[in-house]
Amino acid sequence: MSLIPGLGIVGGMAVTLRRFFEPKVTVKYPEDRRDPPHKFRGRLQLLYDEWGTLKCETCFQCAQACPIECIDMGGMDTRGRYHVHWGPPETYGERREESALRRSGRTVPDPAYRPFAAVNLGRVDAILDEFDHDPAHMLGILEAVQAAYGYLPVAALKRISNLTGAWYAMIYGTASYYAHLRFEPPTATEQVAAVNAHRPPEAAYLSALDASLAGGSGGGRSAGTGAPN
Amino acid sequence: MVELLATPPAWPTILLERAGAKDPTDLDAAVRTGAFEGLRRSIRDLGPTGTIATIAASGLRGRGGGGYPAAEKWRTAAQAEAPRRYVVANGYGADPAAATDRYLLEHDPFSVVEGAAIAAFAIGASDAIIAVRTEATESIRRLEAAIGAAEEAGFLGFDVLGSGHDLVMSVRPVQGAYMLGEETVLLKALEGKRGQPEQRPPYPAERGLYDMPTVVNNVQTLASVPWIVRNGADAFAAIGARTNGTILVQVRTPAGDGIAEVALGTPLREIVALGGKLPKGRSIKAVLIGGPSGGLLPPDLLDTGYDFESLRAVGAHVGSGSVVVADDRACVVDLARLLTRFCASEACGKTIPCRIGTRRLVEIADRVIDGRPRPTDMTLLTDLSADIVASALCDHERLTTLPLASGMRYFRPELDDHLLRSSCPAGVCHPIAVAAGAAS
Repeated sequence: MSLIPGLGIVGGMAVTLRRFFEPKVTVKYPEDRRDPPHKFRGRLQLLYDEWGTLKCETCFQCAQACPIECIDMGGMDTRGRYHVHWGPPETYGERREESALRRSGRTVPDPAYRPFAAVNLGRVDAILDEFDHDPAHMLGILEAVQAAYGYLPVAALKRISNLTGAWYAMIYGTASYYAHLRFEPPTATEQVAAVNAHRPPEAAYLSALDASLAGGSGGGRSAGTGAPN
Repeated sequence: MVELLATPPAWPTILLERAGAKDPTDLDAAVRTGAFEGLRRSIRDLGPTGTIATIAASGLRGRGGGGYPAAEKWRTAAQAEAPRRYVVANGYGADPAAATDRYLLEHDPFSVVEGAAIAAFAIGASDAIIAVRTEATESIRRLEAAIGAAEEAGFLGFDVLGSGHDLVMSVRPVQGAYMLGEETVLLKALEGKRGQPEQRPPYPAERGLYDMPTVVNNVQTLASVPWIVRNGADAFAAIGARTNGTILVQVRTPAGDGIAEVALGTPLREIVALGGKLPKGRSIKAVLIGGPSGGLLPPDLLDTGYDFESLRAVGAHVGSGSVVVADDRACVVDLARLLTRFCASEACGKTIPCRIGTRRLVEIADRVIDGRPRPTDMTLLTDLSADIVASALCDHERLTTLPLASGMRYFRPELDDHLLRSSCPAGVCHPIAVAAGAAS
């Protein structure tokens, strides 16, 4: 290309020479540290408290905030309820197995539904039709599902998530926030009692207030209005 | 069902004007006593800006506890550029010890419906939602009957009173959390999301329900609106001291409880007296004002006026409108712990100062009551309260510190008895668990 022979070589050597005197990019790592890129958020890690239990309360707030929906979780929630959810992208082991199954032509089990009691999701679909598949009516949908099944089956929540397009984390957050929605069948009375002990209902507050006004005897106001003993 | 307390006949009645009606859902009877006269006047004579100006001149402030001027919200919402606007009437009434909102909705649903209709007309909203507790089945039934009757008579629905303004009003039952009384939380619940407050600004008046300008007013605020439009802003401004108008309170004393309508600025002593005489030989020890997150005031502050500023100045707040009188059988520390524990367990858990800080407050109170306080506990309580207030996201969080903070401020001798002498003057708590053998 060049009319003068050797100019390319000179140009190349000029680059080499410039690099030679430029400051080096190698960082002596433990002593010198570079600033991470501004979007770097570090590795996801769950922290433990001093008793060795997970600090994570399974509140799903991180899952809701995650812009690429890569966070998901499962396990016990703060009210002691066993409640598991598999996040699709994270379970690589299951993924590989699944693709192996698919290649061999066998049916692929859906891991999301396996650990839960089989529920007939037809009623969920009917309820969603009634609410126009609109996530804005989520509270009404959840209340209707609970009225239909007696509780909120996880498979139903997944179904709602699939059909309305609302994130599972959002639905779970809504369902776990309101005290009247529950994840267990209503027969589990001891669990309901545990929930009530953890979050005293308003009636309990009222009777405790009366008891406190009447001198903490626990007798309530009717006992207090009588003659002072 | 709570009953109405007898108030002196000279006291003004605005909210409970029609409360004595035989059938609260009878539209004809209500119209004969002036219902929807305000809406008609607002549409025919005043127009949207005139209505807002009237409300501004009357000095109407939010009855939900915050005391924000209603006209400011309306003006902001009316000026915001948006395809839709909403009016939300907050009738949730979160405080278990106060049924004032529910009482109003049951006994005069038309005043709330009319107030919401005027608000919707003033800001140009085509949807109005009245949020009620699901447990309050009677209020829901009467509200729906009232809305149906008003729609048939042309006060709601398509082309309200020939103004060209459409208005769809609906009742939305919500339940399941104490926090739903907070305005942004209520909006979240109406959107079907988990009930956690939002950072403000933007206020709901700029971006609220479905990101549209939304006026969220307490039902008592809205029920005052028709009266103002009907009788004029000056008549309203003449009622009450420091803050105009009246408010419903629920007085709860050891002798009984009931609801009364009082003018704002009424001295606490007169409100407490409505609850009846205390049992013989008992005297007032503390007055809890403002619901579970209210302040505990000593009897020598009973001359304080019941209005937003005066109560804030002494460390209480209007809140839910509940006034709870504790006589000398109650232990202030025990009472403060109960209130803080309720607030802490009902907290939504969005912000860390609230989720963790309020639990630490409860633990401090537990330690004091169980008789094993740490020497640093009082300093910690002061610092922690200040930190929670400084970093709070919503008012629930800010006010949760009030029972313990006001208890420490006014009842320090009683607290010192617990702390230093391991004894409870009221004999309620047993702070001598450890030193039982040593102390008597």
